[in-house]
Amino acid sequence: MTKSNSAVRIKGSRFKVVGIVALAAILGAGSRPARAQFFGSPGASTAPVGNIEGFTVSGKGTVLGKPNRLEIDLEVSASSELSADAIVKYRDTKKRLQEAFAALKLDNVTVEERGLLVDQKGVQINPYFFDAQPNRRSKAEVQLTRRLVVKCSEIRKLDEEALLQLVAKLLDVAQDAGGKVTGGQNNFNPYYYYDYSNRSSTGLVRFILDDYDKLEDEAYAKAVADAEARAQRLARLSHVKLGPVTAVREAASPGSAPTGAGMNARSGHDDDSTAKRLESSRYQEIPVQVELVVRFDVSANPPGNGRTGD
Amino acid sequence: MSVVRLAILSLLVVPALAFGQAKEDEADKVSNDRPDRPLQMPPASSEVKEAFDDFERFRRRNAWERALKALFTIPEAQALRFVDGQDGFIIPVAQNRRAVLAGLSPEGQAAYRLFYDDDAKKLLEKAEGPAELKTLERLYSEYFLTTVGDTAADRLGDLHFEMGRFDRAADCWLAVLRDYPDTDLSPALLSVKAALALRRAGRAGEIEPLRRDLADRYADEKVTIGGRTAPAAEFLKPVLSASGTGLDPAATPSAPPGAAAVSASASEPDLKLAEAVPADWQMRFGESVVAGMTPQERTQWDSNRLSGAVPAVTVEGTTLYANYLGYVFALDLETGKLLWRSGAFHNLDVPAAQDQARMLDPARFAILASKEHVWTLSRDLVDPNQMSPFRLTCRRTDGGDVVWQSTNLPDYAQLDLFGTPILANETVYVVAKPPMNYRPDQTHQYVLAVRASDGKLRWKTEIGTLRQGQRYYYYGLPDDSPQPRLIQRGGSLYVDTHIGVLARLDAESGELEWGYGYKTDPVESSGRFFFFGMMPPSDSTSSSTPLRSGEALFVKGAKSERLYALDTDRRKMLWDRPIAKSARLVGANDRMLFLGGPELSALDLRTRTLLWATRVPGGSSESRVLVRPGGIWQLTARGIFELDPDSGRVRRIFRGDDTGSDGGDLYVSGRHLVAVSNRTIAAYPIEASPAGGPARVDEGPTKKTRTTDD
Repeated sequence: MTKSNSAVRIKGSRFKVVGIVALAAILGAGSRPARAQFFGSPGASTAPVGNIEGFTVSGKGTVLGKPNRLEIDLEVSASSELSADAIVKYRDTKKRLQEAFAALKLDNVTVEERGLLVDQKGVQINPYFFDAQPNRRSKAEVQLTRRLVVKCSEIRKLDEEALLQLVAKLLDVAQDAGGKVTGGQNNFNPYYYYDYSNRSSTGLVRFILDDYDKLEDEAYAKAVADAEARAQRLARLSHVKLGPVTAVREAASPGSAPTGAGMNARSGHDDDSTAKRLESSRYQEIPVQVELVVRFDVSANPPGNGRTGD
Repeated sequence: MSVVRLAILSLLVVPALAFGQAKEDEADKVSNDRPDRPLQMPPASSEVKEAFDDFERFRRRNAWERALKALFTIPEAQALRFVDGQDGFIIPVAQNRRAVLAGLSPEGQAAYRLFYDDDAKKLLEKAEGPAELKTLERLYSEYFLTTVGDTAADRLGDLHFEMGRFDRAADCWLAVLRDYPDTDLSPALLSVKAALALRRAGRAGEIEPLRRDLADRYADEKVTIGGRTAPAAEFLKPVLSASGTGLDPAATPSAPPGAAAVSASASEPDLKLAEAVPADWQMRFGESVVAGMTPQERTQWDSNRLSGAVPAVTVEGTTLYANYLGYVFALDLETGKLLWRSGAFHNLDVPAAQDQARMLDPARFAILASKEHVWTLSRDLVDPNQMSPFRLTCRRTDGGDVVWQSTNLPDYAQLDLFGTPILANETVYVVAKPPMNYRPDQTHQYVLAVRASDGKLRWKTEIGTLRQGQRYYYYGLPDDSPQPRLIQRGGSLYVDTHIGVLARLDAESGELEWGYGYKTDPVESSGRFFFFGMMPPSDSTSSSTPLRSGEALFVKGAKSERLYALDTDRRKMLWDRPIAKSARLVGANDRMLFLGGPELSALDLRTRTLLWATRVPGGSSESRVLVRPGGIWQLTARGIFELDPDSGRVRRIFRGDDTGSDGGDLYVSGRHLVAVSNRTIAAYPIEASPAGGPARVDEGPTKKTRTTDD
């Protein structure tokens, strides 16, 4: 191998490197405008970046609505060594609860059942149990558990006093009939560190708003108006003319995100997962909130028209 | 080829299956000798068990001389030790030996008489004077099938009858009737004597077969009893008329006053609370305890299990006596007036602040009363020794002055009294064990018979050795050991240890007659670390008192997953059935057995299926439930619930004057229903009116209630 040959080869490889770098630079430069076409991440919706072809603004709309329904969660559970006994216990407990609510003869009160859990009771392994291990020979009992949801509709027309009376009656009937009312205050015990996750208060009663279509329309209209107002302000300050809306994205819609303290916009438990609803652990007006991210086109002001955004 | 392979495979697999089954059966068997059972009755030596095995081996070979010789190698000192009998019963060696001899074939019997008749006759001649009882008992046990065995059994029956041991007397005569067919004694006379003894012993169910036998075979045979000669049937008439109801004053089952189990009797009047009536009076001891507490002290008190303690209560005449965590007081049942008390309740805030008081089981406090005396089982809450034993204290009913207490008597040294004591025939029966800090190699469990008037120990019988061993408690964790329960019937005393053994004792002599070993949780390790405090709470249920319905005695151990129906007189297990460990016995009638636990439920005694289950607020795991023919009543945190015993339907909720308490016990006394919760004692008037109709809720007004605030 001669010296000149190796020099030529080194030169050739330099050319290759330069070519690759140049290609990468071109590709990188080409992608910047493309990325700017899109909205930023949802978390950055309040500070859109990189949109060089218009204004991206967020608009919020909130309308308050009184809950139209309340729900109380009950649990029916029975266990026994013999599965047949567990079934009798479970069946009787459920029947007595349903009969007790039926005896109220309130047309707007219904008891709905959720999924049945067939589990075992009696064999538990506890990681904190350092000493005696659970008895290997103790038999597991069959345990049947089902959640019942007491639903009371048309509460909007009741005043607070009447509603309190109704809630008290429902809770009393549930407890007198042997029902275990779930939810409520979880007293936090600082010594039981394993209990950290379990200390939020959900309340014994859930207030539901699920007939909010009209309110939702209002909230959307308010959100669009809010977005437009924000964009107008930006256009005015930027001395450009606001163009038409080129894109809209829902940052938050009713039922998709938490809606405030004590409120939960979860889409429901178990079988309610598809239901459209808003709920609150407190009896108060529930906000129907909409948040939109809207992109407006902009154009330069006509020459004789000054540099205002109007 | 494939056939050969299949055969080889079968040969390999079949023995494995057989081994597996044998192991399973073995694991399932209840035996007094299993090391994992919490209580072992006094066991016979291994030589005794070998002697029975040798007998069985030689008997199969018809080697009678060697077989019988093996039985007679058993030393007399072992006669009252215990071996496994039939059906899960654990019986004395003497009884087992007699049962084995009674089962001899005619050939074996002939050999037996040939070898042992002379010895038996000599022994019978010696059975006079002070040695008579002991000699006859030996004859009955060892030589029953000899030619003089029937005579010895008859004489022994007479002796037992004279001594008031009616159970044993009946067993002696019944043994001759059943196991000695060639007796020369009069079967009619034996039948009449046995029937009389059975009646006195409260074993009415066994009289009817005797009556039938007499009517069929010996109706006109004349017998002489007590100098009077008459046909056998004549003697039986008064017996049968009394046994028809099954009630004899001496034979009525005695349940402890504080026990949860109540038998429904058809003779009891129906119970009906007046509509929305206020209590005639109410004693609010709970308010006295918390009066003056700072918010911090109140929080501490509310989190202490002592705050949930329901006083043990008993009623004698028109006075109600209560033992509230060692504070004893008496109330006039008519007015609710406090007659006397042993101390001021507000002193309870002091022990509430101490960790050692948290370890107490409030259910261990008990009370009994007669016209002159009241006996309490309690301990000092401020005692810094967390393992100090409970003491039995006798007080005068007229002022509460202490007459005697067990801690001052040497007989009770190193004994911790526990369980609910019972009172019968001027005797207090109570279960005892060594204190928690006693030597682990001497952990025996006893039953004591205490002379009620002066505390003198009449007898002390060892039920068995606790294999549970020493248990340590740390950081205020409570003692959750199940409490034993006692019942007395006829001349017998039954103790359910709730750790796997129901034992029967002679109430007069204290002799341990037999035990029944039921399935229960095996022994636990001895230490308990504070990590237990983080365990998810399990369903804890108080110990059940055994219940009788007809011939069956129902037993449900606190740590057992089975319910047993036993014929204790014929020593047979009638049936058993799986049941939730959290279940307990609360009452029975002739058709149903009522169970407590997380819910109240009823079991059909014929089909043994669960008929209904009703969950009342707070469950039915501990409180005393009233079970009567017309209904079932339970005091809950949300009032008194009345249930239909046939369907379990809640007929009525009587809120009363103490909603918000933890619930508690119900007692009926005269015209009052006494509701005892962890905060108050209230007496509601009872009115008679028909039961039934739809479920109702009566909101009890409180304005007119007279209160006794300490």
